Amino acid sequence: MANNVFAVEVFFIVFREALEAVIVISVLLAFLKQGLGKATDDPKVYKKLVRQVWFGAVLGVFICLVLGGAFIGAFYSLDKDIWSNSEDLWEGIFCLIATVVISIMGIPMLRINKMQEKWRLKLAQALVAKPKSKKTFFNINYNLKKYAMFILPFITTLREGLEAVVFVGGVGLDYPAKAFPLPVIIGLIAGIAVGVVLYYSGKTSSLQIFLVISTAILYLIAAGLFSRGVWFLEANVFNRKTGGDAAESGSGPGSYDITKVVWHVNCCNPLIDNGWDIFNALFGWQNTATYGSVISYNVYWLVLICILLLMLFEEKKGHLPFCKNLTLAKLNPMYYIKGKKQNLSEAEKEEIFQKANLQVKQMEVESLENSSKPVQLK
Amino acid sequence: MLKLFISLLGLFLFFLINLINAAEVKNFYLNATYVNVNLDGKYERQAIGCNDTYPWPTLEANKGDRIQLWLTNGLNDTNTTLHFHGIWQNHTNQMDGGDMISNCPIPPGGTFIYNFTLEQSGLYWYHSHTAGQFADGFRAPFVIHDKNTTSGEDEFPYEYDEEVILTISDWYHQDNVELTKDFLDLYNPTGAEPIPESLLINEGMNLTWKVEPNKTYLVRLVNTGAFVSQIFFIEDHQLEVVEVDGVYVEKNITDHIYVTSAQRYSFLLHTKNSTDKNFAIMQLCDQDMLDVPGNLNTNETSYLIYNEDADLPTEAYIYDWEDFLDDYYLSPLSGSELLEDPDYQIVVEVTMNNLNDGKNYAFFNNLTYVAPKVPTLMTLLSAGELATDAAIYGSNTNTFVLQHNEVIELVLNNADAGKHPFHMHGHHFQLVQRGPDYTDETDPVPYDEENADEFRDVPLSRDTVFVRPNSYIVLRFKADNPGVWIFHCHIEWHMIQGLSLILVEAPLQVQKDEGQQLTENHISICEAAGVLPSGNAAANTEDFFDLTNENVQVKDLPSGFTGRGIVALVFSCIAGILGIIVLGIYGLLPINEKKVIEDFGVESIELDETSSNDVQPNTKSSTSL
Repeated sequence: MANNVFAVEVFFIVFREALEAVIVISVLLAFLKQGLGKATDDPKVYKKLVRQVWFGAVLGVFICLVLGGAFIGAFYSLDKDIWSNSEDLWEGIFCLIATVVISIMGIPMLRINKMQEKWRLKLAQALVAKPKSKKTFFNINYNLKKYAMFILPFITTLREGLEAVVFVGGVGLDYPAKAFPLPVIIGLIAGIAVGVVLYYSGKTSSLQIFLVISTAILYLIAAGLFSRGVWFLEANVFNRKTGGDAAESGSGPGSYDITKVVWHVNCCNPLIDNGWDIFNALFGWQNTATYGSVISYNVYWLVLICILLLMLFEEKKGHLPFCKNLTLAKLNPMYYIKGKKQNLSEAEKEEIFQKANLQVKQMEVESLENSSKPVQLK
Repeated sequence: MLKLFISLLGLFLFFLINLINAAEVKNFYLNATYVNVNLDGKYERQAIGCNDTYPWPTLEANKGDRIQLWLTNGLNDTNTTLHFHGIWQNHTNQMDGGDMISNCPIPPGGTFIYNFTLEQSGLYWYHSHTAGQFADGFRAPFVIHDKNTTSGEDEFPYEYDEEVILTISDWYHQDNVELTKDFLDLYNPTGAEPIPESLLINEGMNLTWKVEPNKTYLVRLVNTGAFVSQIFFIEDHQLEVVEVDGVYVEKNITDHIYVTSAQRYSFLLHTKNSTDKNFAIMQLCDQDMLDVPGNLNTNETSYLIYNEDADLPTEAYIYDWEDFLDDYYLSPLSGSELLEDPDYQIVVEVTMNNLNDGKNYAFFNNLTYVAPKVPTLMTLLSAGELATDAAIYGSNTNTFVLQHNEVIELVLNNADAGKHPFHMHGHHFQLVQRGPDYTDETDPVPYDEENADEFRDVPLSRDTVFVRPNSYIVLRFKADNPGVWIFHCHIEWHMIQGLSLILVEAPLQVQKDEGQQLTENHISICEAAGVLPSGNAAANTEDFFDLTNENVQVKDLPSGFTGRGIVALVFSCIAGILGIIVLGIYGLLPINEKKVIEDFGVESIELDETSSNDVQPNTKSSTSL
């Protein structure tokens, strides 16, 4: 195993999910502060609502910590003998899974500062879209808001947390259990710290740079993982032919298939020599590089660069090059599954938007005027 | 066919008569043929037998006899040779049988006449010296008795009642060609030796040896196996070692003997008075030598029977693996003193490593032995004055030229973590030093002359000795046997990996010696085998220093970063850096609100726009978190 105490991938995933949860909470708190919690408002209600937010968030985190712990605990209490005799094969597969996971979550992370927008919109929608009964509208609305301030952070932290558990599980399959606590804790601390800075400073430009750097590291890891995955699969083939004999010989001659090797140095084996495992985790370093590992590493970057360039183009021009009506999102089959629904409910949607808009206005007006007068719907 | 049979029968009878009469000349007619055998009762396979039978006959002769042995290669698909292990072959180097060393390989159908005189006595053995053929069964003991040719009395230094020959060996179910193919292979990069399937005794299993009480047996024990060393002992009996590799020694009583491939031990066994119980004869494989798991039963039991009505003995055990006779402390009966300070010291280091074909080879001083195109003896005989220059014998043969009658010290540092039984042709060497087992040391411990243990005044001489892991041995001998002698590890697999060196001893004396000139038979065998019986290692008869096209080892593994490695690394770095740059450009783009909404699939509630119309400005800025 590459790094037995600090799984770098785990750190980044926890960091991202923690940051996202903090942003949600901060958006909610801002809502309260500006929407409901004006000094003129009832400070008791405000305090209560803030407490609700925190309570919901903490409960969500707690539940997902319990679930995550159980998940990882169950995973490691399983009989690991299944893959102990074909360790390289599993390690290769896990590396490839981790590459996919990281690659998918990486680019959205680059846009994590957009999440503020996203969550503001989502929360606003959640806050206003619900009430439909005209009769007891005000009371329900008030209760719902009261309820929402608990349920939203709870659901959000739970969701982000479970996502983290699944992702961590995905990338961390080949790590021993002891490699988890440290990156999880540090990831949480870092995520929360960045979230707090974001909340108080309100500056997104420095955050953006920070996010770019951390995303770059994430993709370095992913490229390395991809290369490692291929390397392990090749090693598996070699070890199968040698009867597992090569593994015992360390980094010296005979530990690798000479016919496939691009370079080999008799040192710096990430599986044996301390320190080099960090290079292995970060950059996919191998003291024996094979054609497979080198080509896969370069191909990974090539594909990533292509995708990024396409996204860049689309972001500027609104469509993919040479195809005016095509966007990246439209290449995703999910777009059509989702899109169909949207098309069907176009008329309804308009109506919901209208209602939602009004609801927001009402909320704001209400808080401004500090009045309990219900606003008429159009 | 019948004619041939009758003539063979006649020759066989002649050989028998010779044996009985202890005549001066012993004639043997041996034809190497493939036979099917099932030696371990587990598997029938093709083995190399003699005259269509198996096993090969034990050859017996007296000191002073002349041996004439016609070896016919009846194997249709491979060359062969015959080596008489431990026989000095003084003045008859070309009869030593080393394939491409002193002997042209005998091609299928060829007959080579081995003709030499015995100056020694004791237990020896003979086996093929081509490829791994002795692992296929081409092996048998060769006993030279000390019978005085005039008086007819046995001059063996100790009293005994009866003589018994025991061979112990290992046995594979595949033949040496298949085994070698899988062994010397890209996919056996650690050079793990093939694991034998069985341990044999007298070419069979679970021997029953009927003894009489109160008698002294002279047991002549030889390990004819290709690979593993064995610990031999007899339950509840002491073994009085009296001879080692043909060297009589002062009696040494021991319980367990450790016998490597090719080593011989003769011991006296005094049987008990009582006959109520039978005892186990045990062979234990040295498991340290087995790198990979196999099917080998490492403890084999045979039966020492005093009483056929009593129960067969069950397996016996030893409790200390290190508790066996250390041959270093044996003393030769001759009292031959330690040879004086050496005139010439050879220091070699044994290593195992992989070359550029991914196969694992064995090295002396980073050179793995690759057989030359002309047998080294033929090079010597055809080189004239140049024979004293080691260069003509090839750059990949580890050849050392020794001056006549010099005292040679061979220091062998074993930088490998395995035991190796080393054998020298043409000599009994003195075992001057042997270091302890340094397995636990991180680095091998080479021989340190300054801090060496005190030498024994009368050290043991023998022809095959093991060196311990990561340790060393120091051997001395006198270069008084002009000829070409190979020094090699007797584990067949290691020899195939190239763990050999060549000693060219007093080449000019060889040239001058009438008896050392190639026999007509030998020259015709060379021609039949397509081997030039003259010229340098590259078969160049004109310019002996021109070694163009000589056989050489595979290139070394490329060390570190070669051209393509650097290109690959640079490309990978560029790819990574470019990727990060593009990522940065994309990541630092100003945020496009509309895109965000699309990106995240949030239904577009035009919050800011709609609310800004109706609501006071301070609430609009709800985004300022």
